[in-house]
Amino acid sequence: MTLSLFALAKPKSRDAAAGPSWLPGPYQPAEQPAAALDPLKRLLQQERFGHVVRQHRSLGAHPQIQAAFQAAVEAIDDRFALVPEGYATLPATVNDYPGCPEKDVQTEPFLLARHCVTNRQYQMFVDDGAYENPHMWPEDILPHLVDFVDLTGHGAPRHWRNGRHDKRLADHPVVGICYYEAAAYARWAGYRLPTNAEWQMAASWRIRSAAHVLRRYPWGDSFDTSKCNVWASRIGHTVPVTDYENGAAPNAVLQLIGNVWEWTDSDYDVTDDQGRAVVGDMLMKEIRGGAYDTYFPSQATSCFRTGLPALARAHNVGFRCVMDAGDGDSRPASPQAG
Amino acid sequence: MNRPYTTQTQERDDTQCLICGTRNEDAAVQCIECSAPMALVRDGTDPQSRPKVVTILGDSNVGKTVYLGFLLDMLSQHTTDYQAIPIGAYSVNVQQNVISHMACRMFPPKTPMEADQWHWAYYQICKRTSRKEEWLDLVIPDIAGESLTAELANPNTFRVINSLAGKSAGMLLLLDAPQAANGSSQPDFFGVKMLTYLDAVHRADRRSRVQMPTAVVLCKADMCPECFDDPRHFTEVNLSRLWNLCQSRLGNVEFFACSAVGSLAYATSPEEDFVTPIPLHTALRGVLEPFEWVVQQL
Repeated sequence: MTLSLFALAKPKSRDAAAGPSWLPGPYQPAEQPAAALDPLKRLLQQERFGHVVRQHRSLGAHPQIQAAFQAAVEAIDDRFALVPEGYATLPATVNDYPGCPEKDVQTEPFLLARHCVTNRQYQMFVDDGAYENPHMWPEDILPHLVDFVDLTGHGAPRHWRNGRHDKRLADHPVVGICYYEAAAYARWAGYRLPTNAEWQMAASWRIRSAAHVLRRYPWGDSFDTSKCNVWASRIGHTVPVTDYENGAAPNAVLQLIGNVWEWTDSDYDVTDDQGRAVVGDMLMKEIRGGAYDTYFPSQATSCFRTGLPALARAHNVGFRCVMDAGDGDSRPASPQAG
Repeated sequence: MNRPYTTQTQERDDTQCLICGTRNEDAAVQCIECSAPMALVRDGTDPQSRPKVVTILGDSNVGKTVYLGFLLDMLSQHTTDYQAIPIGAYSVNVQQNVISHMACRMFPPKTPMEADQWHWAYYQICKRTSRKEEWLDLVIPDIAGESLTAELANPNTFRVINSLAGKSAGMLLLLDAPQAANGSSQPDFFGVKMLTYLDAVHRADRRSRVQMPTAVVLCKADMCPECFDDPRHFTEVNLSRLWNLCQSRLGNVEFFACSAVGSLAYATSPEEDFVTPIPLHTALRGVLEPFEWVVQQL
């Protein structure tokens, strides 16, 4: 009797094959589609449109390069939006108060992805062997590559299993990726990450004009939980990247505020109010926009700056890509024309 | 029990401290013995029953105040089936203190060690389902970690802690997950001491387990996200002494992970030998779950 009273209770660990806690039922791994054998078709299949447009000269010998180039341009037209030249004023202190030191940055026109990169899109990067290919990564990051694994130890975002995303989340933004994984994807696809000033310009829409007006949110100046997925929206998890069309920026870019924070290519470089350097345990990169679990509306605005260690693989941070506006301006020469 | 907050004339002994039972003078603001606010008795909504006490315990700097402040603020916003209504303006202090600081990217000041300066939160908690409302009066003090440590070292140094431990209907034990993950035994031993202390206060029969619902909450889990994957496994591996004690002594225990800060940085300069932690942004995760679990068990 005494023994049974002291017997250890059986642990109730979480089911190893369970999906995200807010989705019912077991994990549903996405299928792996057959890859096209033709390298140009494969580039289009992988949605590496930026790569096709930027690298068309090296692909110029391919008989279908013109059609592929045209398809890539049309896809970019559809998926990216032009952000006109403008300004971003970046507070140099942690707290943005009247009179705090600021840095004015002028931004050139660029193309910004209308949506964050989804699990489905990132799956193609994983399936292309990115995590096994050392050439995809900066040399100083290679020692950390072994840590870029999913819940089952495969090279993939942190919350995936066996290198596959849960297909119910195919259109949700990919999360659980560090800055280097986001940057590697962008390079692989032929794009790059936005700078903090570019991101802010796109969200605050401070275009070059006599008025010098900027928006607190992409849709205007009033916080509105029906236009973004933050804590106050009472959803509690990510939503598909195509949701919240009513919260779009003037150029139809979606979800700059809420759903997931977005990695930028800029170091998080601020001081506190006394001028002391603000540092993290390691290099910090700037993230923008707030996420579904951002509690304070003041931390999900077009101008709020914050940072995260570059190697952090957080559950609420994703990314979107940009292209320079001049990329791929010149059409490929017809192979027949020689 | 369906009863909204009322201000009806109440018939009860308003001089007996809710926490330690000491009789006080009619006009006493705080109990002369344990320093608990006498308003906890006077503001009671139901003359027939006394509110239940839920304690949030944890080592110094584990984040008890931040946890409690966000918890009350979230409950006040009626975002889940649970909602909280403060009773007495003093109850809002801890919530306001945390929210006003964290919104400005600062941690709230440390809770003073003196019991007469602690914040006490007295809330009516309502659980709404499609068919009914269930109301519960809860008292949750914001206890200083240093006071807990002193009481563990020398029992009855803080009479109020001893009384609270005896009066508690439920407990949330907050532990520093990144510290444990980094190999420190401090959170493990703190948890063991705390449970042993509760065991002694309850004078529990060693052949039966303590049945008070106890939520073990792994705090600051943003810095070791594996806590969220499986808090039980994390506790078993990184807090093994506590894990074993929980299994053998607690009859109603559950494990949770939580975080309130999305990213932490430090302000520093070469001239100073100290750093100031800065919570860069909030990312609330797992705050409500342990509390709701405890309330369900009451």
